[in-house]
Amino acid sequence: MATLERPPTTTQALTRLWSTPAGLVGWLSAVNHRAIGARFMVTALAFFLLAGVQALAIRLQLARPGLSILSPEAYNQNFTMHGVVMMFLFAIPVLEGLGMYIVPLMIGTRDMAFPRLSAFGYWVYLLAGLGLFGAFFLGSAPNSGWFNYVPLSGPGFSPGANIDFYAVLLTFLEISALAAAVELIVTILKQRAPGMAIHRIPLFVWSILVMAFMIVFAMPALIVASVMLELDRAAGTHFYNPAAGGDPLLWQHLFWFFGHPEVYIILLPALGIVSAIVATFTRRPVMGYTAVALSTVAIGFLSFGLWVHHMFATGVPLLGTSFFAAASMMIAIPSGVQVFAWIATIANGRIVLKTPFLYVLGFIFLFVLGGITGVMVAAMPFDLQVHDSYFVVAHFHYVIIGGMVFPLLGGLFYWFPKMTGKLPGERLGRWSFWLQFIGFNLTFFGMHILGFWGMPRRIYTYLPGFGWDFLNLVATIGAFILGLGFVLYLANLAYSLWRGEPAGDDPWGGATLEWATTSPPPQYNFRAIPTVRSRTPLWDEEEPDDADRARDHTRRMVALPDEGREILSTTVVDARPQGRVLLPGPSLWPFWLAAAVGFIFYGMLFDLILVPIGAVLAAAALVAWHWPREEEEAP
Amino acid sequence: MSATTAPPAEALPVEVSGTQAPLWWGMLVFLAVDSTIFAALISSYFYLRVTQAETWPPAGLAPPGLLLPALSGAVLLASAGPVLWADRGLRRGDGRALRLGLPLACALAALFLILKAVEFVARPYLWSTNAYGSLVWTIDGAHAAHVLAALLQAVVVAVLAWRGHFTPRRRVGVETAALFWYFVVAAGLAVYATLYLAPRLI
Amino acid sequence: MFALGTAIFAAVLGALGYALRRARGQSAPRPFNGNALIAVGGVIIPAAIIISLVVLTALTQRALSAPPTPPALTIDVIGHQFWWEVRYPQHGVTTANEIHLPTGQPVQLRLTSADVIHSFWVPQLAGKLDLNPGQTNTLWIQADRADVYRGICAEFCGIQHTLMLFLVVAEPPDQFAAWLEARRAPPPRPVEPVLQRGQRVFSEAGCAFCHAIEGTVATPPTGTVGPDLTHLGSRRTLAAGIIDNTPENLASWIVRPQEIKPGNRMPNTPLGAEDLQALVAYLESLR
Repeated sequence: MATLERPPTTTQALTRLWSTPAGLVGWLSAVNHRAIGARFMVTALAFFLLAGVQALAIRLQLARPGLSILSPEAYNQNFTMHGVVMMFLFAIPVLEGLGMYIVPLMIGTRDMAFPRLSAFGYWVYLLAGLGLFGAFFLGSAPNSGWFNYVPLSGPGFSPGANIDFYAVLLTFLEISALAAAVELIVTILKQRAPGMAIHRIPLFVWSILVMAFMIVFAMPALIVASVMLELDRAAGTHFYNPAAGGDPLLWQHLFWFFGHPEVYIILLPALGIVSAIVATFTRRPVMGYTAVALSTVAIGFLSFGLWVHHMFATGVPLLGTSFFAAASMMIAIPSGVQVFAWIATIANGRIVLKTPFLYVLGFIFLFVLGGITGVMVAAMPFDLQVHDSYFVVAHFHYVIIGGMVFPLLGGLFYWFPKMTGKLPGERLGRWSFWLQFIGFNLTFFGMHILGFWGMPRRIYTYLPGFGWDFLNLVATIGAFILGLGFVLYLANLAYSLWRGEPAGDDPWGGATLEWATTSPPPQYNFRAIPTVRSRTPLWDEEEPDDADRARDHTRRMVALPDEGREILSTTVVDARPQGRVLLPGPSLWPFWLAAAVGFIFYGMLFDLILVPIGAVLAAAALVAWHWPREEEEAP
Repeated sequence: MSATTAPPAEALPVEVSGTQAPLWWGMLVFLAVDSTIFAALISSYFYLRVTQAETWPPAGLAPPGLLLPALSGAVLLASAGPVLWADRGLRRGDGRALRLGLPLACALAALFLILKAVEFVARPYLWSTNAYGSLVWTIDGAHAAHVLAALLQAVVVAVLAWRGHFTPRRRVGVETAALFWYFVVAAGLAVYATLYLAPRLI
Repeated sequence: MFALGTAIFAAVLGALGYALRRARGQSAPRPFNGNALIAVGGVIIPAAIIISLVVLTALTQRALSAPPTPPALTIDVIGHQFWWEVRYPQHGVTTANEIHLPTGQPVQLRLTSADVIHSFWVPQLAGKLDLNPGQTNTLWIQADRADVYRGICAEFCGIQHTLMLFLVVAEPPDQFAAWLEARRAPPPRPVEPVLQRGQRVFSEAGCAFCHAIEGTVATPPTGTVGPDLTHLGSRRTLAAGIIDNTPENLASWIVRPQEIKPGNRMPNTPLGAEDLQALVAYLESLR
């Protein structure tokens, strides 16, 4: 196997094996990780734009005191849906989509572990997301905040269908998030290229792994909370009813047991993106790899010990709050490790100041600021002053937009050439960055001050004479600049997709395996499975800009027989090859199963008779999905 | 690692099982999700008991009877036996253990569900009586639904087994179904301890 | 707190700026001990800051958790969608949306809710504390300066969460005592015909289903849905702190509350001009 130049028929055979059928049926039956990952990302970005429009509506309403652009009810639905959509329909799906797309390429495999599960997860996401937005356009969207506290959201105070949409459709949606988490974990544990032992896993993959584990342990709490809420509302149970032995605080415990890790679920992959970009654009592997990987894991663990800090104002016992305050501040240490690891890497590197790196610098600026205000609100006496005020609004937008959206936009820009084969426009990229950076700070910095002056959250208007007018007007202007920046960014990508310069395999000189294949990658990702000897396989031996590197690289590959959709299964810790796994091909069953499960959930909303029908159909679809294919039956 | 040390892929097994198989790991992670769901339900049970109730069960309800649940719990526990027998048997190449063990386990699971149904109907309170009723019905109901799911899955696997689909090498489908079965039995023990033993012991 | 935060922010950005300068100014990178930077900047310094913050937090918490002297006065505050019921249990006084208290001494507040979760917040006097249904949280506050402080609901509680304000009126102890004494007495019985007509309108137009006025037919339990109006004429604001208590405002509030505070629980009540005038005069006479 000195040179693995196989005859051209191999490539043709692989293409045939791994391609998706044409036409609508083919589109519905696609299971390829790049197709599904891209669908997740595109759908999530569409929801991002819609929720952005909701944010602009909120800002318009608050531009001056006493405006009535939105009625109180419309305002409440707007801010609720803004939060719900950004958290559940944008942040998690876009990161899972990015993980699904990039992780198999980065670890050198040909698809996710359970390709049909990827497809199923997407259809569930789409069906649930459309339902939530459908409710919004019908004017009966959830209206009690994304945190949806009982008893306000309970049967006594929210008789309309609004909250049913929340409780039922979010549960439906979580199935998608959990499915993606399960297969991301298994893919990362079992399908890494030979030699990619645990100490060579790219930091981005580490972050996705920890994110997926956090989803596994956090989401069920929300599912249980929502199911109990819907039972209270529809079946007359009393989980949250203090008059019959229930407790409204139970909802808060369960919700924040999910809700706090949720913040880190969307933050961690962003940190991973930053590590990837920093390494590529400083031409240095990230310093302190072990410390950064361990701090990623530490953030995952710590974030499960913080939920009570959302409940300091509920009257929980004092000793408990001290514990949670200390635990909340502790999270500054692993975050600090990461920030200083990047700074050290930059100090040692040779910087290429392209748009993705600009986003990283913007991220560090905003994230450090958001982190510091985060430590402040973890101190209970301070928190009691600013809790539920605009200070908190400012804080978490710094953490989420600064900490997650900026790296995400940098990351999409960074991987865009790999996904499309086209280079994104650099000039427009910079413009969009600066518009976003300036617009963001204009919008949110003043909110710290507003909060300190006593402006509470979730109010649809305010009275003149509180002295809040000017800063609110500034925030509204900033929001439109920020929105313009987002639109420009997406327009840039769309234009580049159409007219962009050809990118080549590795336009940025990256070190990880995704850059070893063509842009966009072939259906089968890698003609043979690469092997890995270091954390930066593409920088080994050769200079990073050595043109022959990619060809050189193929010498160390493992060729799989091209008789079926085969991937290599490797050991969890050392990534030694263990076996070949035959993956299932395109299938309509994931779509039908998602539709059947949709019957169950939409049945709860509209007509209970659909629920048993959906359950029977779902069971049938599951059996059909897993029924062995004919060729397997041959002895 | 040079080209010569890269293992020839043709030498690797195609049918993988156990920890070699991604599907086995997938089931394990799914069970982690499911365990968290049960943990959240059981935590809610104890949370409401500690914060809201002076007596438990509240409102003059007697603690749940022990006999019928103990009987159904024993049946459930016993059902793990034939599953283990089938799983191990297939590994040794004993197809008979597989073909007989799974139907036997299904029969025991069905018996468990019947006993549960009797117990549900005989309860002197409903889910809508108070929060205690809500908890008991929901937790016990969620577990019964799991038993039903395990039963249906085992039926499908048994049909495949009778058609001769599984071999000692191609056995990951049986392994994962068995894994789920063991989990459902273990969850049943946790639910039993929570709903039936804890009110009397603590 | 802010100074510390700013200093940390400046230090981190300084390090980043230095790193960028260093990286751009050189052609071949010189080695640089990154691990030391990570250990000092990422672990040691944050850990030191956090430990001191935890200690400071605990000390402040202890100082805030108990008043220097046991409070003599207890006030019950009950949250409603979307107004505040205020009771002085030691004196049998009930009012709404306006908490009077004496200056210079700690006062104990017992907070609970009649419906959903609300949160009590007077930014200038105390941090916030939730009003949970089925649970009583206690908070002590002290106003040292005689003034009128603004309070606000800080937990989203439904469609009119926004317009759920209240006032805290801190008065010197003798003035406060006089206020309390005046509130203990039932309001004067109407003698003028227009006031008597107003009282009749109050009972007949349906107001009494929700509102109580001591000494009228509408005594509890019927009149507990809306604020107690026994001494309405003496309050500074209407509709939970959002408009000044003037006869004109009161008249518009009675006729079209749904325009002033859409979604609140009080229905629009069309009244003839003379009835309305009489009702307003009567209510404003309740001092």
